[in-house]
Amino acid sequence: MNKIKSRREYFELSRARRRIVLIFMLGMFLVLFAQSVKLAGFEKDKLQKESRQRQHRELDLLPYRGKILDRNGSLLAESTPVYSIMADAALVNFKDDDPIKQAKLNKKKKQLASLLKLSIRDLDKKLKNKKRRDTSLRKNIAPNTKIKILELKISGISSNKVYKRFYPENGPVAHIVGFTGSNGVGQEGIEMLMNESLAGKKGKIMKIIDGKKTPRVIGEFQSIKLPKDGTDIKLTIDLRLQNEAYNALQKAVEKYEAISGSAVLLDAKTGEVLAMTNYPSFNPNGYNKVGDFIKNRAVTDVFEPGSTMKPISLAVALERKAVTINTMIDTGKGPYRYQGKYIRDTHAHGEIAVKDVIKVSSNIGSAKISEKISSINLATMYEKFGYGIKTGINFPGEVSGTLRKHTKWKKIDHSRASYGYGMNSTLIQTAQAYTVFANDGKLKPISLIKEDDSKISKRVLSPKTTRTILTILESVTDDEGTGSKARVYGYRVAGKTGTTKKVDEINGGYSKDKYIGTFVGLGPVSNPRFVMAIMIDEPIKKKGYYGGTLAGPVFSHVMSKAFEWYSIDADGSELEDIENKKEGYADKTKL
Amino acid sequence: MKLNLILFVVLIVCALTTVNFKHLTRNNFAELDAQSKETLELKDQQTMLRIEESSESRIEIIEKTAKHKLNMHIPTQKEKKFIIR
Repeated sequence: MNKIKSRREYFELSRARRRIVLIFMLGMFLVLFAQSVKLAGFEKDKLQKESRQRQHRELDLLPYRGKILDRNGSLLAESTPVYSIMADAALVNFKDDDPIKQAKLNKKKKQLASLLKLSIRDLDKKLKNKKRRDTSLRKNIAPNTKIKILELKISGISSNKVYKRFYPENGPVAHIVGFTGSNGVGQEGIEMLMNESLAGKKGKIMKIIDGKKTPRVIGEFQSIKLPKDGTDIKLTIDLRLQNEAYNALQKAVEKYEAISGSAVLLDAKTGEVLAMTNYPSFNPNGYNKVGDFIKNRAVTDVFEPGSTMKPISLAVALERKAVTINTMIDTGKGPYRYQGKYIRDTHAHGEIAVKDVIKVSSNIGSAKISEKISSINLATMYEKFGYGIKTGINFPGEVSGTLRKHTKWKKIDHSRASYGYGMNSTLIQTAQAYTVFANDGKLKPISLIKEDDSKISKRVLSPKTTRTILTILESVTDDEGTGSKARVYGYRVAGKTGTTKKVDEINGGYSKDKYIGTFVGLGPVSNPRFVMAIMIDEPIKKKGYYGGTLAGPVFSHVMSKAFEWYSIDADGSELEDIENKKEGYADKTKL
Repeated sequence: MKLNLILFVVLIVCALTTVNFKHLTRNNFAELDAQSKETLELKDQQTMLRIEESSESRIEIIEKTAKHKLNMHIPTQKEKKFIIR
């Protein structure tokens, strides 16, 4: 038997064993060291990012969307705080064994349902599924209602704040202002055009997540980037005139049972759009913003301008000295056959002077005058007046209208173009074209957004021709003229009526009973300040369909308000009547 | 030895100052956060007041007040007076 070894000998390992253990331990340290080098050296960024993601939360600080204002600072669009009322169904409890407490709970439940505009049954239905921790009870609640709901102190009921665009003026300005989608991005109108400026820039704040998973502020200034609020946009629109134009348009459309109507009022001196409205309109605060009436038809819809082109084609003839205002034109006693087609007037006028061709709105007279000028001169002048070209207002959906190349015109196209057929334009183009007659022959660039710098006008006609045309246009509002209903008491106004047949989309050609009635005018004649164009689409024929009848009173009503509110000096010959205490022609121009 | 002692004291003072400033920064930051929230609340209130103002200053309301409370009316053609310069 071996002798028992001493304690030291017993525990002492052999040299080989010691080396194995040492190598093993060194190996382990080496692995740990390598791992630490890997983590600290190569995976540092990734791990730090992950750590930040777990502990920190980056929250968006939303900017306030800019306001849209009219030229006088009246509010047209604003972002307002609204609340969503949320419920944690597991925490909401309306039951108690104690009858007194139960009565109180019942009362609270009734109050909650009433504030949420829900029936008790609907409220119960929403809270039925106890697993749902974030049931939305109602969206878009006003702040006052939210306060009342939270004051009920019902456990499990909370609120979330969101911002919703609010349009206090509703229909009259809806087409200009447009609206935003549920994501807060502009979808139509100025909201869409100026979305970038209105939206501002988001800010950010880094918050740390504590043990209760509640985000808490980190005490470092680098962790916050304040949001930049959107810029306010000031429009050139005058809300008072916009409302007047809308109301007058509504009356005309309803009176003549038309499909729709549009109106544009320009400041002739600056080219600013003071009013641009369409009826019917829509409610931009509503949810179902669909349908044809969303479009701003004054800039998106084209129609044949008709007789409103006659003063322009006459201006070409006067400018080229092809005629004088006293040149006699034989308009005949019935339809005028030209190039195998008939050109008709509403009444036979016989032989009339050039100046009366516009006054009585003779198609035959206009066609005969145009025979004295070349197609290139006529088409070039139309282009100079802005036809076939966008106005530069930059409104979403604006179209340029169609003005075919004069080289493709046949003789009949040339004649028809002289009285506004065979081409099309928007209402705003028509209004802009008439700024030439209000500015001594210069075409005014138009604008919808208030800017400090004024734009340069382009000369289109000589001042002499412009004055001649203006005098002729004034005669249109005489008793014998087609636009007598457009007169404004105490003021001299000028303008041109237009009555165009609509294209029959089913059978082709022109419809026999579908018309568009227009009136474009300016005033006061002594120093034109405003230009207004009105269009009434498809009135009931038997109720009236002439442009002067439909749109003339709208012009008269809005212009009289514009003269009054802008303190325009009266220049009308009726001033003598006023001095003699005679009543004017208020009834004639009544809407 | 003396130098070491001085450096040690300086170190302690620096450490305490750092801690204090960190604390003050956190306080200021929390205040900034609170102020930002208050600004937002005030902006919301301002918005609501502006909307109220815009709805109260509508032409229809002004006309209604003028007509019923102040007994005003739109002048007839006979009542209108034009100043001829």
